[in-house]
Amino acid sequence: MARYIIRRILGLIPTMLVIITVSFFMIRLAPGGPFAREREVPEAILQNLLKRYHMDEPLPTQYFRYLGDVLRWDFGPSYRYRDLTVNEIIDNALPVSVGLGVTALVLAVVSGISVGIISALKQNKWQDYTAESIAVIGISVPLFVVGPLLQLFFGMKLKILPIGQWITVHGLKAVILPAITLSFPYFAYIARLSRASILETLRSDYVRTARAKGLPERTVIWKHVLKGSLLPVVTYLGPAFSGIIVGSTVVETTFMVPGLGRPFVQAALNRDYTLIMAEVIVYSLILVVMNLVVDILYGFLDPRISYK
Amino acid sequence: MSEQNKPSQAVNEFNQVMKPVSLWADAWKRLRRNRMALVSLWIVLFYFAVCLFAPLLTKAGILLDSNEQIIQHASIRPSFKPAGELVIEKMEKRIATIEETLAERGEQVAPAATFSFDFGAAPGTESATESPPAVDGFALDFGGSGADTSSSDPLVRELKFQKEDLETMKREIASNPLHKRVYILGTDDLGRDMLARIIYGGRISLAIGVVGTLTAALVGIIYGALAGYIGGMLDNLMMRFVDIMFGLPYMLIVIIIMAMVGEAARGNFVVLFIAIALVSWLTIARVVRGQVISLKNAEFVEAARSMGANTSRILFRHLLPNTMGVIVVYATLLMPSFIMNESFLSYLGLGVSAPAASWGTLVSEGVRAMELQPWQLLAPAITMTIFLFCMNFLGDGVRDALDPQSKNRT
Repeated sequence: MARYIIRRILGLIPTMLVIITVSFFMIRLAPGGPFAREREVPEAILQNLLKRYHMDEPLPTQYFRYLGDVLRWDFGPSYRYRDLTVNEIIDNALPVSVGLGVTALVLAVVSGISVGIISALKQNKWQDYTAESIAVIGISVPLFVVGPLLQLFFGMKLKILPIGQWITVHGLKAVILPAITLSFPYFAYIARLSRASILETLRSDYVRTARAKGLPERTVIWKHVLKGSLLPVVTYLGPAFSGIIVGSTVVETTFMVPGLGRPFVQAALNRDYTLIMAEVIVYSLILVVMNLVVDILYGFLDPRISYK
Repeated sequence: MSEQNKPSQAVNEFNQVMKPVSLWADAWKRLRRNRMALVSLWIVLFYFAVCLFAPLLTKAGILLDSNEQIIQHASIRPSFKPAGELVIEKMEKRIATIEETLAERGEQVAPAATFSFDFGAAPGTESATESPPAVDGFALDFGGSGADTSSSDPLVRELKFQKEDLETMKREIASNPLHKRVYILGTDDLGRDMLARIIYGGRISLAIGVVGTLTAALVGIIYGALAGYIGGMLDNLMMRFVDIMFGLPYMLIVIIIMAMVGEAARGNFVVLFIAIALVSWLTIARVVRGQVISLKNAEFVEAARSMGANTSRILFRHLLPNTMGVIVVYATLLMPSFIMNESFLSYLGLGVSAPAASWGTLVSEGVRAMELQPWQLLAPAITMTIFLFCMNFLGDGVRDALDPQSKNRT
């Protein structure tokens, strides 16, 4: 097991290298530099700017310099925000985004599985149909529709929850709407997934055995059915988290959350190369690490999987 | 089942001629029994028809032009009443509010002489002598008649303008055909018909969905079929590449691509298609590869090969037609995700650029106005949601129809 984990961690290195390389060259080859604006910059100043950001060097030199910097977790100065380094932006935003993402994921898993259990146990009753409809709606409604609608209803009509800004302004109440919005599609998917999986497990032999030996229904459900049927949900956690990360750009824009999402979109619009790169690297890192955690978790849950 | 294997003029035990049922006919039969999927299918077809024929509808005068701006009709709420009445209603309400505010203020501060003067003067003398004759629909004029007003209070001035406009409207309403228009979904803040904007936005969204799906399917099919059929090292290499691509946060890459191409090229939908399609072929490639691998050693393929069929013939005549079922299922489920991704980009300001507007653009515009004009958000949001909802239901239905064993899976 320990060897497997170490091998997987080592396996992250090429993946990250590919991500860094691809995005580095893609961005450098893009037309229009970060200093191309409406107002022409005088030639001498442009030269100085390029020098300051090491952009006058040949591309390979720039690339290796950048790799070295990234290894030291140094993303350089931002091209747009003169008085901020990229690290300052990232370091402030990262905890916010991760906090929001994890809250949304936990919310999605807990509520998704609960709804899944209820609709599987009440199969083809009204509870099941209601849950199924909510799930399909959840998958069909885009995040950027859910968010504003929740803002409209809870923030503007009922005025019980803040519609924007973060903990520093509103306290923990500020997390509720963004987290619900972000978790909604994944809640829906997890509900469907766990319903199907529980239904399948309910028909399996070992559940029949458990019932036949006279275990109370509650024990059968909690100890036997649930444990066996949660594997697909665990598998889905990887893709779910990557979706949550991407979705957070929209949710953070909608709710004015000071996370990674807004600077990312802004950097993309401004061609702020260093910031885009840093964002891509941080996002990918979160993603790969999350996938790793899911894989390891999987091994603990399913004794049939052996690691070599 | 066994009847299908007999020659085409098969006869059953009651001496009735049996027609062999193809996979598609069989699937269609099953789909027809799924009421939700069928309703969804009709709704989806309706969307496509309306969007396809939108220019004809506009020409026939049923639908308004989505880009025609009538400033007077800005932000009218959805209603079946003609626009003129609604504008007058809105103006009267506004005038009442202003008068109320002024009256309140008048009570708080000592009732000033200038106030009462303005009150009397505005509707009577001013509008009668000064108000300009209606110049084709534009009633908002900020210069001219307001310049000689002595009051510096913006509310008082607005009240005067509103009353003048109201007078003009009331005179015009009977004569100007513009004011007889009905905006059943309201208008946006530039006075454009929301219904027309949604339908024309749908053209863009659906086009992106269809073209993107086709591109992704094509690339995925070719890639997956090659990898699966050739196998060995090449297969390994190709699938490693797919694995790495899967690991990438792909929407972020699309965002980077859209940022890279810049504002000018963003108006060009081709870039958007390519950017989204570039990262959406992965699932199809994997699925097709799996199917091809499981089929390539089947007897009918071996038979074809023994008869001298070459690789491309085996691939395109024997293997791919057998994977069509899976491909169709994935394609139906891919389309809503395309439309959703495009709207996602448009919402962030990285999708289609003005004057073109997709559903995502409309929603993001609606969000800005949602507090005062909620219909500008609700109308496109609901339209889009219904479509995605139906596409998802249809996709599920098609999957169940083509692969009955998958029933009751997620």
